[in-house]
Amino acid sequence: MTAPVFLPEPAAAAHSQLRAFRTLAEERLGQAIPDYGALQSLALADPQTFWRTWLEASGVAYSGDAGLVIEGNSIEHARFFPHVLLNYAESVLRGDPASTAISSYDESGFRGRLTRGELTAAVQSMAATLRAHGTEPGDRVVGIVRNTAEAVIACLGAAAIGAAWASVPMDLGVEAILKRFEQIRPVVLVTHGSTSMQGVRKDLRDRLAQVIKGCESLRALVSLDGEVPEGTTLPVVRLGKESPAPFPFPRFPFNQPVFILFSSGTTGAPKCIVHGAGGTLLEHAKEHRLHCDLRPGTRLYFHTSTGWMMWNWQLSALASGCEIVLYDGSVSYPEADSLLRLVDEAAITHFGTSPAYLQYLRDAGIVPRDRYAFTHLAAIMSTGSILADALYDWVDAEFKRVPLQSISGGTDIIGCFVLGNPELPVYAGESQCVSLGYDVQVMTPEGPRHTGRGELICCAPFPSRPIGFFDDASGARFHDAYFAQNTTFWTHGDMLELTSRGTARVLGRSDGTLNIRGVRIGPAEVTSVVEAMDEVRQAMVIEQRAPREPGGSRMVLLVVLQANQVLDRPLQLRIKRELAAQASANHVPAVIADVRELPVTFSGKLSERAARDAANGVAAGNASALRNPACLDEIANHPSVRIG
Amino acid sequence: MIATFEQVRETVIEWLDDNVHFGEAAALIKGDESSFLENGILDSLGFVRLVLFLEDRFGVRINRQHLTRENFDSLGRIARYVVSRTNGITA
Repeated sequence: MTAPVFLPEPAAAAHSQLRAFRTLAEERLGQAIPDYGALQSLALADPQTFWRTWLEASGVAYSGDAGLVIEGNSIEHARFFPHVLLNYAESVLRGDPASTAISSYDESGFRGRLTRGELTAAVQSMAATLRAHGTEPGDRVVGIVRNTAEAVIACLGAAAIGAAWASVPMDLGVEAILKRFEQIRPVVLVTHGSTSMQGVRKDLRDRLAQVIKGCESLRALVSLDGEVPEGTTLPVVRLGKESPAPFPFPRFPFNQPVFILFSSGTTGAPKCIVHGAGGTLLEHAKEHRLHCDLRPGTRLYFHTSTGWMMWNWQLSALASGCEIVLYDGSVSYPEADSLLRLVDEAAITHFGTSPAYLQYLRDAGIVPRDRYAFTHLAAIMSTGSILADALYDWVDAEFKRVPLQSISGGTDIIGCFVLGNPELPVYAGESQCVSLGYDVQVMTPEGPRHTGRGELICCAPFPSRPIGFFDDASGARFHDAYFAQNTTFWTHGDMLELTSRGTARVLGRSDGTLNIRGVRIGPAEVTSVVEAMDEVRQAMVIEQRAPREPGGSRMVLLVVLQANQVLDRPLQLRIKRELAAQASANHVPAVIADVRELPVTFSGKLSERAARDAANGVAAGNASALRNPACLDEIANHPSVRIG
Repeated sequence: MIATFEQVRETVIEWLDDNVHFGEAAALIKGDESSFLENGILDSLGFVRLVLFLEDRFGVRINRQHLTRENFDSLGRIARYVVSRTNGITA
């Protein structure tokens, strides 16, 4: 039997919040709950009691009647706590006003600290400012912002008045930004006018001007750094220049939209996924308190931009009483190990990172334990892509003997399906457990199962299910995204193995979405740019295994050129430049290969799955459904694509 | 395999074009001794990817203790270092 790479100290497990909750559940139910597996079984058997108990224990501030826990039985339509009122910002900001809420760093070092009291006052001031400029509950406030305390203040200010917040990474191209923002019709844009990366400042005001021009719904611009695009006709608010009187947090329905996250798929415009305040809070509080054991006195740093759901996730961690540490800059500037120095100097207790970063450290020959003491570090979390077994041993030997927790879920659920657990051992390559109260199963040939390999499905209502997609009143797009295969459970798009010991191993995506170096890439955002070029008739992007690449895979772009066109080097470089400019550097493929045709099914749909299988040297599972299976040989044997 | 200074130099520019600057690397690099880090040509993460590529391309093993600015922070430094590992011809 495989030996664990980490065993929790019994004393630490005994003092964990998960153990305390298990004890509470034992007292409430009057029965022994000997371990996590037993707790999970009870939670799944009686979800009404479980979620009501957790709401009461979670620290979330609420009013109203929590008697009705889940309205409706279908996963697609169920609503949690329809008679409960709350305010996301109020719950996040609770706690000792004198305690530190945020510590901020950038490439030049420490930038400042905010207590909970100071943060609350700043959020209330921002909320009043947004309201003074006509922002109403349900409106959208969008950000093109760096990972700073001011961005947090703006986001919480929007949440405080019942508006929904959506942000994009600073390096996203104008076209891609507008494809997102124009769908949700924001009323306020919050900006930083420049970035500083690798010590080099980049002025973004021209780009912001184009976004403002293309976004007719905007009524005001909030500048976080005073760098405002020239010629802006919008009313401009400079942070700190207006300080209306604070006001108490109004409470809104449990399902009031709080975040809109963007996710690009294989076709069409990016999805605008709307997450509710209550579901987000309740689930995040469970993940942070029970699975991560965050509490007052702990400090979380999760490496993320404001355009990734982990930014929202780490923001909610404030509700557990912990301090969050923000860093705006490169992980490897000014020194190759700059991020490690931050983890040590800021006394981080919970460090969130990615397989790509851990692999970078290993490939660079950096031995963290030889450089820093990491005295306070208690856990390392990793997400974004699959964490290779070898990295568990590397962390244990070269970093620090702490639990390395592979957590996985995503934008669609703004949280985790599988993650860590302070009471359980860590096995290499595996997440420690399924999220408490989530009926995660795998779809096997014999049907849904709690052990085995298959597509990840969730078979019971869960609170972090999105409210829906923006502007999808009939719910048709939402249904197609998650319930088209089977209407009775959530189909997530990941392949998963659930083991008999209760752990989980993510095996990759089951759909056409790519995950390159930990960044999820929607193929449509690549192909739409490439197919707009005169030389290109058709394009498809696929993910190919590449063990030497960070994250273990690379992006391959297959193109069918117009007659008499040649994929020479100038054209290859022009394709890459267009993608970097219109989408982002993350959208640039490692390989471009010209082929005569792309695989098409008899129903006329392009099959990314068949091309991906061919590029990875495996027989296409759906070859019999293809109109042109012979094209797979050309893909598999293309000199730029061929493995080995 | 044996590599020349010019071969390594051209290979690095081509790699930068393919992976970071998309056809504009030669224009951005002000000279063979111009600092990659100080001029935003490549960051530390990029250096590691480049090193892995050079190992494959030239069949050399680069000691991670040698992954320093002295050996890698310019076109000329990289070319001289890789050539020395392949017992090739420096400029």
